[in-house]
Order: sequence, then C-alpha cells, then structure tokens
Amino acid sequence: MFRRILIANRGEVAARIIRAAKKLGVETVAVYSAADEDSPHLEDADLRVCIGGAQSGDSYLNMRALLQAALQYDCQAVHPGWGFLAENALFARLCEQQKTTFIGPPPDVIALMGDKAKAKETMRAAGLPLIPGSDGVVSSLTEVRDIGDRVGYPILLKARSGGGGKGMRVCRGPELLAEMYEQASIEADKAFGDRGLYVEKLIEKGRHIEFQVLADAFGHAVHLAERECSVQRNHQKLIEEAPSPAVTNELRREMGERVAKAAAAAGYVNAGTVEFLMDEEGNLYFMEMNTRLQVEHPVSEMITDIDIMEHQFRIAANQPLALQQEDIAFEGHAIECRINAEDPFDDFAGSPGSIERFEPPAGGNGEIRVDTHVRQGATIPPFYDSMICKLIAKGENREKAIDLQLAALRRFTIEGVSTTIPAHLALLESEEFRSGEYDTGIVPRVLTALQQGGGR
Amino acid sequence: MAKVVLEDIGVPIGKLLDSTEYESNVRHMRSLEQTILERRDEVAAGWGPEYVERVHHKGKLTTWERIDLLKDPDTPVFPVGTFVNYGIEYGDPPRKSPGAGVVTAFVKVCGRHTVVIANDNTVASGSWWPQTPEKIIRAQEIALRLRVPVIYLIDCSGLNLPEQANTFPGKYGAGKIFKMNSLLSAEQVPQVAGVFGDCIAGGGYMPIISDKVVMTENAYMVIAGAALVKGGKSQTITSVDIGGPDIHVHISNCADMRAPDDPTAIEMIRREIEKLPTTAIEYYRYGMSPVEPRFPTTELTGLMPVDYRMAYDMRQVISRLVDASLFWELLPEVGQEMIIGVGRVSGLYTGFIANNQFLTEHPEDPHNTRPGGLLYQQGIAKISAFSRACNADGIPIVWLQDISGFDIGPEAEKHGLLGYGSDLLYTNSTNTTPMITILLRKASGAGYYAMSGHPYDPVLQLSTPITRLAVMEGRTLAIGAYRTKLDHNFNIITDDPEERAKVEQGMAGVEARITKDMDPFRSARQRDTDEIVLMGELRDYLKTIIEMSYQSIGYRRVKTPRIWSLHDLAAMFRRI
Repeated sequence: MFRRILIANRGEVAARIIRAAKKLGVETVAVYSAADEDSPHLEDADLRVCIGGAQSGDSYLNMRALLQAALQYDCQAVHPGWGFLAENALFARLCEQQKTTFIGPPPDVIALMGDKAKAKETMRAAGLPLIPGSDGVVSSLTEVRDIGDRVGYPILLKARSGGGGKGMRVCRGPELLAEMYEQASIEADKAFGDRGLYVEKLIEKGRHIEFQVLADAFGHAVHLAERECSVQRNHQKLIEEAPSPAVTNELRREMGERVAKAAAAAGYVNAGTVEFLMDEEGNLYFMEMNTRLQVEHPVSEMITDIDIMEHQFRIAANQPLALQQEDIAFEGHAIECRINAEDPFDDFAGSPGSIERFEPPAGGNGEIRVDTHVRQGATIPPFYDSMICKLIAKGENREKAIDLQLAALRRFTIEGVSTTIPAHLALLESEEFRSGEYDTGIVPRVLTALQQGGGR
Repeated sequence: MAKVVLEDIGVPIGKLLDSTEYESNVRHMRSLEQTILERRDEVAAGWGPEYVERVHHKGKLTTWERIDLLKDPDTPVFPVGTFVNYGIEYGDPPRKSPGAGVVTAFVKVCGRHTVVIANDNTVASGSWWPQTPEKIIRAQEIALRLRVPVIYLIDCSGLNLPEQANTFPGKYGAGKIFKMNSLLSAEQVPQVAGVFGDCIAGGGYMPIISDKVVMTENAYMVIAGAALVKGGKSQTITSVDIGGPDIHVHISNCADMRAPDDPTAIEMIRREIEKLPTTAIEYYRYGMSPVEPRFPTTELTGLMPVDYRMAYDMRQVISRLVDASLFWELLPEVGQEMIIGVGRVSGLYTGFIANNQFLTEHPEDPHNTRPGGLLYQQGIAKISAFSRACNADGIPIVWLQDISGFDIGPEAEKHGLLGYGSDLLYTNSTNTTPMITILLRKASGAGYYAMSGHPYDPVLQLSTPITRLAVMEGRTLAIGAYRTKLDHNFNIITDDPEERAKVEQGMAGVEARITKDMDPFRSARQRDTDEIVLMGELRDYLKTIIEMSYQSIGYRRVKTPRIWSLHDLAAMFRRI
C-alpha cells in the first residue's frame, strides 16, 4: 500500500479520504487554500500544505501547485475525491507522467467517458441499452416518421450541434411531425450552420437510477447495486437512497451484471457510477458514466457493508479485487440527505458563514452516519460548494430508514447558517416520497406545496 | 529443381534390433536416467522444506511456484544449467548450492518463448555463489543470440560475501551480468524484471536496465541494505523504507509498477510480454504443421547400445528427432562417415550433421573399410560445405556428436586433415546461424571442437545420460601413459608377475579416473555443457530451441527455401 498520498480536495471530501487512509495506515498530505486554512479536517492529516488563494482556480484546480506538492512531499499517489479535478483527464495524465498514482480510472477512460457521444457508443457496444431513437443523424422526414412509429410518441428532435434548447422540438404525435421537423432543421441551421438532427424517445417523469461499480486493473468488475437520485433541484441531488424503490431484485441482478461486464469491457478501472434514466415502464437507458466516486456513495456502503473508498486505494495500488459478485449481499435500506448551508425557501441561495452550533445526532448501532469535516465554530466559505455534512440513515426497510432519518434530522442542531434540513424534512414526510413512486420533478412539487401551505 | 523433398527415413525399432537387446538397452539407459531424475528433484528442492516454509512465511512464493504461475498453462519448462555446482560445497560450515542458487530456463509466456532467470529464494536467499554469475550470463547470452525476451524474477540478497573472491572480480564476475543487461538492451531484446524481495547491491543493478520493472510490496532495491546503512550512517530504517516500491515506483523512477504480491506481479509481467510482437514461428513453417516423428523419440533409450564401443544406426536417431521422420539427406555418396541433411523440427527447417557409426568404404580403396565415428578428409569437407551453406541460408544446425576424433596416421597427415579441420573450425567459428550441439555419446578430442562443441559457441549444448566428453577415452590414455611397457598389440611386455600386476593396476587406475571425469555430471557441474537431458527429452529441447531460433525477425538471415545455397551443393554433386 502507498506510504503517503496527497488529497487534492477540501472539506467533507478530504475528511472522508483521511478516514480511509488512516484505516489503511497511509499518511495523508492535506492541501488548503487561503480561505480554508482553519478547516477542521486539516488537523487530522499528517501534513498540510497551502497551495494558493481562495479562488478554486488558484488552489483546488491549480494542477501545477498540486503536482508540485505531491512531488515535494514524496507522495506515492493523489486522491482527487469528487468535484474539482476528479474527472479531469489532463490532471490524471499529468499525475501518471510524474509517477504519482492517480486514485481513479486511467486518463484515457476519463476522457472517453467525458465525451458523451463516445461514451454512449462505447457502452452500447458493451451491451447497455440507450434511449431508443435514430442511429445518428436522420436524413429525411420519412425516416423520422419510421422512428416515431417504432419507439412511440412523444419523441424529441435535437440538433446534432445543439445546445441551449436551440433546434430542439418535442413532438407528441405524427400529425405535427412535418412541421416540427422543418422548424427544428431551420433553427439548427440558423444557430449552428448545421441542419443535422437526431431523434430520440422523450422520457417524461424519468427517474435517475445509477449503479455503483468497482473494477480492478485486471479486468474483474462487480456492481454494488443501484442508487436512486431522483430527488433533485436544478440537477443538484438532495436526497439519495439505495436500493431504489423502483428497481426489482431481478432487474438489479440483471442490469447490475450487465453494468459490471460493460465497465470491464470498456477498460474501466477503479470506482465508477453508471447513470441511467428510467422510464415509466421501468426500462433503464444508459445516460453517462461518472468516472469518480460520488458524493452519495455512503448509501451503497451502508447496504453492502463495503468501504468503497478503501477499495479505491487498493485498486490503485494494483491489488486485484477480492470481491466476487456472489459474495456481495444487499441488506436494508439507506437514505442520505445532503445538508448544505443554503436557504431552501430562497431558491437554495447560498448561506455561507460561521457555524456557531453543530450538534449532530448520536449514531446508535451504526444506523446513523454523519460524513463531515465541520466542527462547532467552523466556517463555510463562500468560494466553494456549501456542503456542511451528509446525514445517512440505514433501516431494515425503506419505511424504517425514512423514520430513522426523520428522527435524526429533527435531533440535528446547526446554528449560524441556514441549512437544507427543513427541505429534507418536508420531502421525507411527503406522501409522494414515502410512496416510493416519485420522479425528478418531486422537489418543486413538494416545496411549492409547503410554501403555499405556509409550512415554513 | 529448387525444391526441398524430404523422404521417409524411419525404420521400425523391431527391424533394427531384437527385443532382448532392445530391452537390455532400455534397462541400462533407464538406470542412468533414474539418477538424473533423482538429482533434478534434489536440485529443485533447494535447501529443503524448512526454507520453503521461510519463504511462504514472508508472504512470498518460491521460485518454482513463481515460474509455474508465469508459464502458459500446460506448457513444459526447459531448465538449463540445472547441475551447475552439483555436489560442490562452499564455506564454513560447508554448504551446497543447488543449481548455483538460480534457475535459468526456457519458459513459454503468452505464446512467446522467453528466457527466465530466477534467483532460487530457497537457497541462501537467492544469493550469488561461485558460478552463479556465469550461469546467469550464459542464459543472457542465449537470449541475446536468439533475440528472445528475458524475464528476471529477482529475489537476491547479493553476493555470497565469504566467497566473493570467486564471484566478484573476474571477466565473468558478477559485473558481467550488467554488461549483458546493457548489450541485450542495446540489441532491443526485451527485458522485463519482477522484484520480489531482497535486491541488494549487484542484485539491485540487475533489474534496472530492464525495460519494465515490477516491484512487490515485499521488495526493495538498494545499493546497500538497512544493515550497512545503519553501520555507515547510523540510521535505523528498514530496507523496504529505503528502497521499496514507495520510493522506486513513485519517486526515484527506478521501477515502473507496484504489485501487492507475487501472483499479481507475475500477472503484470505476463501482461507486458503479451504486448510484445508475436512470434514468426508460424510464418517460417511455410505452411506445414508441426508433427511428431513416425517413431517416438523415447525409442532412443533402446536404440543406444549398452557398450559404448558398439555401433548403431545414426539415421534412425535422426528419424526419431525430425517431424514425421522425414529427412533430405545431401551428398550421401561422399564422405560416408558423416550424415548431413535437412529435416523439420516443429515444422521449421533444421540442418543436421551427424557421425555415422558404421564401417564405411574407403573412398580410394573400395575393398577396404574404415571405422565410423571419425573425421576423414571427405567427411570434413562435406560438413564444412554444409555448415557454410546452412549459415548462408539461415538454417539452424544441429550437431549430433558421437565422435572419437580425427583420423590419425600417415594417411591423415597426407590428406591434410589439419588444414581441412582448421577450415571447419573457421567455418563454425564465424557462422552466425544458430547452432545446437548434442553430445549424443562420445565427444572426444578435436572432434568435439570441430563439431561445434561448447568453445565454438553453440546456442545450446546438451549432454545425454551416456555422454563421454574428454580429449580421449580412459583406455586410450592408459595405453599412452604405459606405452613403453606395451607391445604393438598393447599387451604388457614383462613376464614378471609383480611388475605385470603393477602395470595392470596402474592402467586400470588411469582408465577409471578418466571414465569418472567423463561423467556428464562433471561437465554439467562446471558448465562445460548446458544441460543433461533424457533421451526422450532430446526432441522437446530441440523443438524449443529451434522455435526460439525462428521466433524473432530482423536480426539474422533466413532465406526462402527456393534460393537456398544448399541446392547448389546438391546440384553440383547430383549424378546425372
């Protein structure tokens, strides 16, 4: 195992990495920006080094400074955590060039998965289903009509060179197709100088389901079941749970195996997440692969009793993955709430500042886990994300997990900044969430109802 | 007709000798082979179970366990130098060094032949004994000659210091290993090293020049280990801290990859070998598949007579070594005491030069015959020409020696055998095509040299259980030594019973000592031959070394059979 690693991250992420490193007897070098010099987690690292100013570009995204620090402190490896440089192929490449092991996938795989079109093609070839639609750009209206008949309406027309909704049309039936096709083509031509359109089935009321995978450097991969991450506002996840109430045991087994196989076939190494969109009929369609450990990994750890980050270290040190799929059991249900310094009643506006009181709920039999770097008196600086902590509860079933999480949230005292706890309480209490039959539109529905009902 | 037409030369064993004789031959050979098998086991056991246990206790595999993981499943390993240092003891208290503490072998890895050099960690922690460097250098030399990848499995605590005067300073001292590393590298011979444990001083230099270096978590490479650093610098620190993978893989860049344990490191080495070009072997088979001889090689155990003075049919030896027992014999009419020709071994063209054991007609006196197993003028000329032609065509040559030496006497000098012999030596010395020498039985005197014995740099020299390697037979030397006491028929002249007994005893003593020195184990012990193999293994070793000779491209001449120089030779002598 590595003797010493550099943590190219901050806050809660860095605290999590220090914990895993200590478990493995690995020394840590924590980096910090000028704004983070008092961050409590720095005390837990073996060595500390300031790498630049408060702006991320000067510090946590400053590759030269990070690489220099790794060299100067004789680090064998760098853990990028998540966010910042975690999915930066260039950074991973620079690390490999100087023989500081990047704890994550190889740079080529990061680059491949970073190119969404190539990632889709790769994973389709590796056996994962994509949203039904055209195979590339369509050449005629007849072709679009055929696709519509085949995949069913509504369908989405999208500009090949598109972005920002330009050249995009939702078509709900064949009768409007000719008109929409014409409009979208002209719009795309005007905006991008490229009339090329492609077509895919529009998935409404989709659910965000993602599978956790672990793959070693020798082509062996396993999956750690799925997480449901449909509770989002503006594509920011608020609550995640595992397993998903929408995934049956058969689907988990079948899709999990396909995911593990596809990851291995794509040359994936280390921890990664394969994201799917689930339609109302329960079909899963590959969206993208995240080449990092995710914020919400603790829910998978809770239901499998596997320390994913420990495996990240081991895989990076070329240890073959000892886990076999048949040995991995999924037990109970885990729910994670991201508690941020944000005001949920002011469109989640950031609320940085000093945390005057911080009293997390007591754990009790491993049912409650709090992942954080924060201690009383700590400051949430305005420069970065506003994560205070993650609260994770595990119960023997979903019902119990929700109750435990609600109880823990109510016992949680944080003063000095606004937090997202009220939003979590409202969501967990909502009939829609408790029923398990929710989709990515749940947050505005629940919160609007809460505000209209004067629930504040 | 520039065609190569091979003909069936095989004769069933039952037609060659009766079953009683065959069985008696087999029994004799089997008893000799039994000794070889037992001694192989003895060498493979290293210093025994106690040391195997020590290795396992450290979380490591033994050298043979590593080789077993490294090789392709179900493929044989062909060790060379097994009996180096056999029976020799060094130090105080005296200890043996089985295999000189290192395994060198031909091992198939990911479909490619490789030369593996692996310190035996069950013998004094893989340290280097007298002759260990020479054994390693020989393996490197074979790899360099044939451009075959080298894999080092290193677990070596350095020179065995009490014996340093024998291993350190000489031309073939330990430092020559690093020179060979460099030459291999300069000739683009791939070298991959796995470091599995100690790798101190000299051991530390050995892997560094390799293209790829894998280190396990148990491994360290240091100029000086913890003990010396403590003595010299008063620092207390472990050797792994000084030069483990944390330092060399990530910080000093003296190694490339880290592996948690031995099996993973070996898997990583295999993956490196897999990245190399595949072999040209199939290409050079010219469409023919390898096929076993019509009659099994193991029949050689019964073909070779118990009495070393008895003749046997050398063509039938060849028929049991070549594919389908098919052979193209060239110039059978001239120099009949020699057999030359081309066969396939594993589908690959191979030249054979062998001593006919039977009496042959004297070329100038058809009523007279001459004994076989000797070199006469025409035979020497024939094999010189064949050796040159094979070299020109890039055909590997197998020398099948059962030779008593050059013919002697007035006729030999009149025929200028010194000149013809020297031409042969010159030819063989300057040949670049791979030559393999098999000391089938007698390898005597200048005949051993003239037929590409070890000093003439064959890529491999094999001995058999009945090899007799010497300047001359014991009986011959005894006669020479007591010449003044003997008459023209080599009978003792004196009638004095006491004197007679003295001469008899003296002659018997000389003969016994020489015979003992001709024991193949003696030459194997001092590296005068590469390996002693069983009769039944001869073809397997040949297949491997011939395949190795055709594995890599771009470094030596290999002509299409259409334009072989051999055809010129055949055409000129063809009777019209």
